[in-house]
Amino acid sequence: MELSESVQKGFQRLADPGSFDSNAFTLLLRAAFQSLLDAQADEAVLDHPDLKHIDPVVLKHCHTAAATYILEAGKQRADKSTLSTYLEDCKFDRERIELFCTEYQNNKDSLEILLGSIGRSLPHITDVSWRLEYQIKTNQLHKMYRPAYLVTLNVENTDSQSYPEISFSCNMEQLQDLVGKLKDASKSLERATQF
Amino acid sequence: MLLDLSEEHKDHLAFLPRVNSSVVAEFGRIAVEFLRRGANPKIYEGAARKLNVSSDTVQHGVEGLIYLLTESSKLMISELDFQDSVFVLGFSEELNKLLLQLYLDNRKEIRTILSELAPDLPSYHSLEWRLDVQLASRSLRQQIKPSVTIKLHLNQNGDRNTKVLQTDPATLMHLVQQLEQALEEMKTNHCRRVVRSIK
Repeated sequence: MELSESVQKGFQRLADPGSFDSNAFTLLLRAAFQSLLDAQADEAVLDHPDLKHIDPVVLKHCHTAAATYILEAGKQRADKSTLSTYLEDCKFDRERIELFCTEYQNNKDSLEILLGSIGRSLPHITDVSWRLEYQIKTNQLHKMYRPAYLVTLNVENTDSQSYPEISFSCNMEQLQDLVGKLKDASKSLERATQF
Repeated sequence: MLLDLSEEHKDHLAFLPRVNSSVVAEFGRIAVEFLRRGANPKIYEGAARKLNVSSDTVQHGVEGLIYLLTESSKLMISELDFQDSVFVLGFSEELNKLLLQLYLDNRKEIRTILSELAPDLPSYHSLEWRLDVQLASRSLRQQIKPSVTIKLHLNQNGDRNTKVLQTDPATLMHLVQQLEQALEEMKTNHCRRVVRSIK
């Protein structure tokens, strides 16, 4: 795990009981996780009365360092021994290591979901709606009498946060073809994920 | 239902009895070809020279034939109605028979061409799919994230439009379920009753 010098320094500061007593340490740690995982969190996470005595610059530095480390650990899927080793190297005492690992374990799933959702991907289909109509005539063609479907795929673009829709018409044979192919894909997926 | 032919239209068609039936058959062939691929004015000039008439006359004759065929096909008029409509032109029995045959032989294809003139939404052409498993990304290592990549081919106004999309296994199953319901809908009593009563 590669961390910058600034991050390492900030993290090591957290180990020092002189800078952060037990209570302050726990609060800062929780604040770091909250900043990352709570969508509503803002700078106010650090506004706790028990943190007021600490120099705001130091507070911010250590908060950032902790958050950076947490992200890096999450990204690399660090296990307890990796975490412990690094924390020991930073001169954290046993109690603080246990605390960190417990907090990390509690938040691990949310962290991984968050990290997994970041990144580029193709437009993602989220839903489908359909309409069945019976075509009777157009101004160019009378006495048509045939069913037709209008299918709309709801699509999500992860990077641009846009939600374009893809609509197309099809007749019965075409819809059967479409459904058939999607079913094939679904069955293959089932088979593949059984291994 | 009888066709309502305007005076101008009858005028244009009046050229047909002036040539022999093989020429009319040829005009018929040209008319359908023009419907398929668009008009080619050079054909008119060639024919005009051979028949010793103005190319305008030939053009009107062919266009008159085209309009006769498209109107009849659009309305899907019966054999009898077609014969009665053409009767007012005062053509020979032989010519009437030829025109009727031309109508019946080409009606289906002409209706297909006419259906392409409707307000056009992209329509389904085909679909390709691929299974993928994401193993890692810049922000998260050691993943096993299955997904389905879909290439959807659509047609619009004669152009092919391709969209590349992705979905997850759960949504894929949902899509299949929803669309199967859509297909089932045509078999319900309600839809069958509607289809039976609109004729």
